[in-house]
Amino acid sequence: MTEGPLHDASIFMAASVCGVASGLFGIGGGVLLVPFLALFFAFGQHRAQGTSLIALIPPTGLLAFLAYAKAGYISWKTGLLLIPGVFIGGVLGGWLAKRFRPRRMRQVFAGLMFVLGVWQAAAAWWR
Amino acid sequence: MTLLILLLGVVVGVLVGLLGIGGGVALVPALVYLLHMDQHLAQGTSLLILLPPVGLGALRQYWKQGQVDLRAGILCALGMLVGGYVGGWIAVPLPSRHLEGLFGCFLILAAFLLLRKPESPYRTTVATDEEPARD
Repeated sequence: MTEGPLHDASIFMAASVCGVASGLFGIGGGVLLVPFLALFFAFGQHRAQGTSLIALIPPTGLLAFLAYAKAGYISWKTGLLLIPGVFIGGVLGGWLAKRFRPRRMRQVFAGLMFVLGVWQAAAAWWR
Repeated sequence: MTLLILLLGVVVGVLVGLLGIGGGVALVPALVYLLHMDQHLAQGTSLLILLPPVGLGALRQYWKQGQVDLRAGILCALGMLVGGYVGGWIAVPLPSRHLEGLFGCFLILAAFLLLRKPESPYRTTVATDEEPARD
């Protein structure tokens, strides 16, 4: 089940769905890709995360980025200031991931996202 | 202000490495709430940050342990490039308010996806730094 064009095609399809979310929400898409790889393709958690990271090395959001740029939805200064921090933090996080069980981290982060999500949806639609 | 932005980058980066995600899911709300950006602007800026390989340093750690499937990664990159075009095409003309609400719903979904217990037949989430042969 780990080889063959059908397997490749289904990975491509799953990633396309992540790509739609990526363009729609301005995110990398890893937050969907990691669980997809783990749930549908039986990747272990670390392997799913590593594979997600490599999928994010090429500028996969380029086409979405161009659409936003054309509409003027880019803050260049803030963006450029954030890049070095994200890179350095990434090294730190990768190092931490080897030493910790990321499960507890994921729980904390998921809780935070849930609260933020409810808050944001409510703020947008209930006013 | 500049310092806050630099610091925010580091915090988001830690999540990138720790969870193997792009970081946009944390960046966008941070830009909206901490820097008071409009939803579209936050999302476009997040996409800008994700253009360079910000996860490269984190990837190195996974690579050294052989926790990367290169072939699947390339396929995923292609899929996400194509999908990203469609997503951007949908998002740009949407009113900011609806985009914000949708983003909120997406965060809730993402929270549940993260919370699920990884039931991999191969490997559990236990840190795996002891056993892999380093060559």
